[in-house]
Amino acid sequence: MGTFAAIGIAGSGLDVYRRWLDAVSDNLANINTIRPTGEAAFQARYIVAESIDNEGGNSGGVQATGVALGSAEGRLVYEPNHPLADEQGYVRYPDVDMSSQMVQLIQAQRGYQANAAVIDRAKDMYSTALTIGRN
Amino acid sequence: MSIPPISGISAAMPAAVTQPPQTMPVSDGGAGFGTSLASAVDGLQAMQSTSSALAIKAVTGDLSDVHDYTIAATQASVAMELTATIRNRAVDAFNEIMRMQA
Repeated sequence: MGTFAAIGIAGSGLDVYRRWLDAVSDNLANINTIRPTGEAAFQARYIVAESIDNEGGNSGGVQATGVALGSAEGRLVYEPNHPLADEQGYVRYPDVDMSSQMVQLIQAQRGYQANAAVIDRAKDMYSTALTIGRN
Repeated sequence: MSIPPISGISAAMPAAVTQPPQTMPVSDGGAGFGTSLASAVDGLQAMQSTSSALAIKAVTGDLSDVHDYTIAATQASVAMELTATIRNRAVDAFNEIMRMQA
C-alpha cells in the first residue's frame, strides 16, 4: 500500500493497542479469580510487540507477535473460610497488580488515540495534496 | 539576401528554444491515460468492495476490529477523491484544448 502507507502503518498500531486493551481487560477480569493451592493461578497476559522491517518494499509498522504469560504461582492468601482453601487455609490469587493494569489501560488507550490521530491527519494531508492547483 | 537574427535575443535564449521544435510522439498518449485511469478505477473498486464487505461484517457482528472498517472506508474515500481529481483535471485539460480557436 504505497499511496496511503501512513494509514496502513497507523492501522497496524491500532491493531496492537487493541490487543493490549484485550489483554488488560482479561487481566482485570480475572484479578479475583481464586484457585486452590494445588492448581496454577491465572496467568496475566502481556502482548509482545515487534516492529515490521521497513526495508525492501515493506511500509513498516508494528505487529503483535505473541503473548507472554505472567507467573503461574500467583500469591498465596490466608482465607480459611474460602471453600477452595487447603488444610492450612490458603488459596491462590493471580499475580496481577491492579494499579499496574490501570496504568497499562491508560497507555493502551492513549496509544490507540495517537494512532487514530495519525490516520486523521494523514487523511487531511492527502486531501490537501488533492487541492494543489485547484484554483 | 539573408536577414541576420537579433543577436541580443538569440544570445539570451537557450539553444533548444531557437531550434525548430522536435515532433513529439503522440501516438498512444490518449490510450495510455485511458488505461491508467481504468486501472485506477479498478483499484478503487477493490477498495470500495473491501470497505463494504467490512461494513457487512460490522452489521452482522463478525467484525473483529472496529478500526479495520473505518480505515478501509477512509482509504476508499481518499482513493475516490484522488481518482475524481485526476479525471476532473483531464477533462479540464481537454476542455481547455477544445476552447482553442483561431
